[in-house]
Amino acid sequence: MAENAADDPVVETVQLTKIYQNRHIALNDVTLKLERGCVLGLLGANGAGKTTLLRLIIGLHRPTAGVAKVFGEEMSPNSAELRRRIGYIPTNPRFPKGMTPISYLDYMAKLFGLPRDVRKPRMGMLLRAVDLLGAGGTQIDTFSNGMTARLAVATSLINDPDLLIWDEPTHGLDPEARRSMLDLIKGLSREKTLIVSSHNLNDIDEVCNHAAVLSHGQLIYSGPLHDLKSRMRRNHFEVDVDGDQKAVTRALATIKTLGDVQHVSLEHRRLNLRLQEDAVATATLGQVFQVLSEAKLTLIGIRSVGQQTEEAFLDLVEKEEQRGFTRIYRQAA
Amino acid sequence: MASPASTVKLHNRSVAPEPEPTPVAYQAWLPYWAVLEADFLQVVSSWVYRSWILVAATMAIGLFIYRWGLHNEAKIIQPASHVITHLLRGILMGSVALVGVIAAGAIAGERGSLADSILSRGISRYQYYLGKWHGRLLAILLGHVLLGALTVGGTRVILHEDVTLEGGVVAIFISGAALAVVVSLGVMMSAMFSRPLAAAAGLWVLLYAAGLVFGAMPHSIPTPEWILQKLPFILKGEYTREMVVHVVLYAGGASIGSAIFGMALFARKDL
Repeated sequence: MAENAADDPVVETVQLTKIYQNRHIALNDVTLKLERGCVLGLLGANGAGKTTLLRLIIGLHRPTAGVAKVFGEEMSPNSAELRRRIGYIPTNPRFPKGMTPISYLDYMAKLFGLPRDVRKPRMGMLLRAVDLLGAGGTQIDTFSNGMTARLAVATSLINDPDLLIWDEPTHGLDPEARRSMLDLIKGLSREKTLIVSSHNLNDIDEVCNHAAVLSHGQLIYSGPLHDLKSRMRRNHFEVDVDGDQKAVTRALATIKTLGDVQHVSLEHRRLNLRLQEDAVATATLGQVFQVLSEAKLTLIGIRSVGQQTEEAFLDLVEKEEQRGFTRIYRQAA
Repeated sequence: MASPASTVKLHNRSVAPEPEPTPVAYQAWLPYWAVLEADFLQVVSSWVYRSWILVAATMAIGLFIYRWGLHNEAKIIQPASHVITHLLRGILMGSVALVGVIAAGAIAGERGSLADSILSRGISRYQYYLGKWHGRLLAILLGHVLLGALTVGGTRVILHEDVTLEGGVVAIFISGAALAVVVSLGVMMSAMFSRPLAAAAGLWVLLYAAGLVFGAMPHSIPTPEWILQKLPFILKGEYTREMVVHVVLYAGGASIGSAIFGMALFARKDL
């Protein structure tokens, strides 16, 4: 099997478009490159096109337009050799009836064309790694969600792939199983390229170093995760105080008069403070603390709002939608 | 916003050079064999298949007892060739419904995440289709041969014998060829439709249309009806090698043609 050149991207899509039955545009003009060693978090709301993109990359779907390349070669439904280097977990993986983890893994390894002397040791090693060795002879139908997810992970690793594509790997898992899955992704990311699709933005935040955001079939962001976070709204804080209610109300009125304060509101004992975009936060916060001190209020805590991927993601989608409306408005005019 | 065409790069992490692993000698046709084996086992353990065998065997045994009773009580001579023809006709015509359901579920029955789990591995659509087609053919023809052997063997032992062993084997072979066409068409339909029920309905429409077309065809073409009319003579050994070759060529051609069409279609289909 030909190895891809070191500088070839692992995954490359060029103007990838998928239209179902001339009615529904699931993916629109997506151009993306993924280099070796990246852990890409694929973000998007339901129906944004995440699974369609993954299915096009793996060759389960054929693009309506554009091209999906994996390891430098074009992916098609018959690209069996390319898929030998990919480990895939679909959303809610299903297993054939009556099979045990041993018979299922053996079947999957055969589907990769792995000879007996390779697949048998790997099966044992993987079953041990995902803690299913004891349940190796039990029917899969009786498995819990966590055990099923672990088996799906073992299956995706049976061919020792260079690229892992996991669609919603933490979906339906309890907190303990979810934690194990995230730890596993972190471990695998040291030696493999990963694409992880998830609704849970905290998961993406924890394990991925890059992100791609899809909205209504369009790629609205792709790049390092820290860049995505840097696009979020800044200078938004929540300040928890304690003290006399009248003093709190007085402090609120004073803070409103400060120059760089764009908005301030009070909810119970929490001040919701939004500064001007270009304000120097430390200086303005110093003034706010001064006001609180003069009002003899106790500072309980201060928190920066919007430092999470979720906030950045929502901001991005919101801005994109506004731009969409603007475009429509301009066209109409 | 970043350009949609931006490149995802790994900035802060070095990927350590890995030791050169021993290359794995992949077995190119192992995926095909895996699908064939799994499909064969799945079919023979399904209730539809077992029902088919059970119904056909019960029908054969019932007819034997009836004919044997006629022979013993009324002393009516029962030529084995007629009984076998009767039974093979019954098995063929009566079981087409169940065989159709078995064949039509081959690919359509796995649509969804189950097919995702299989076709996202190192197998091409062609190999998957071939594995499914051959798995179903093997299971159904094996059942047909078993039922045929029971029929020929039973009549030779119980009834008046006018059947040659060679004629019996050829009769099973020829009727099996007709059944193979039904299976091949069923698998083709299964690749075209997303649901087994729709595929089975499509197969029925196709068979009905084929029946109408066959009725207008010249006698030189071995239609299923033509085969059934010839069976008593074949069982007695009254057949020519050319006739057998003729039937096999037509049945083989129809089966392979439908498989090629089905494969070409399936290779371009979204799952």
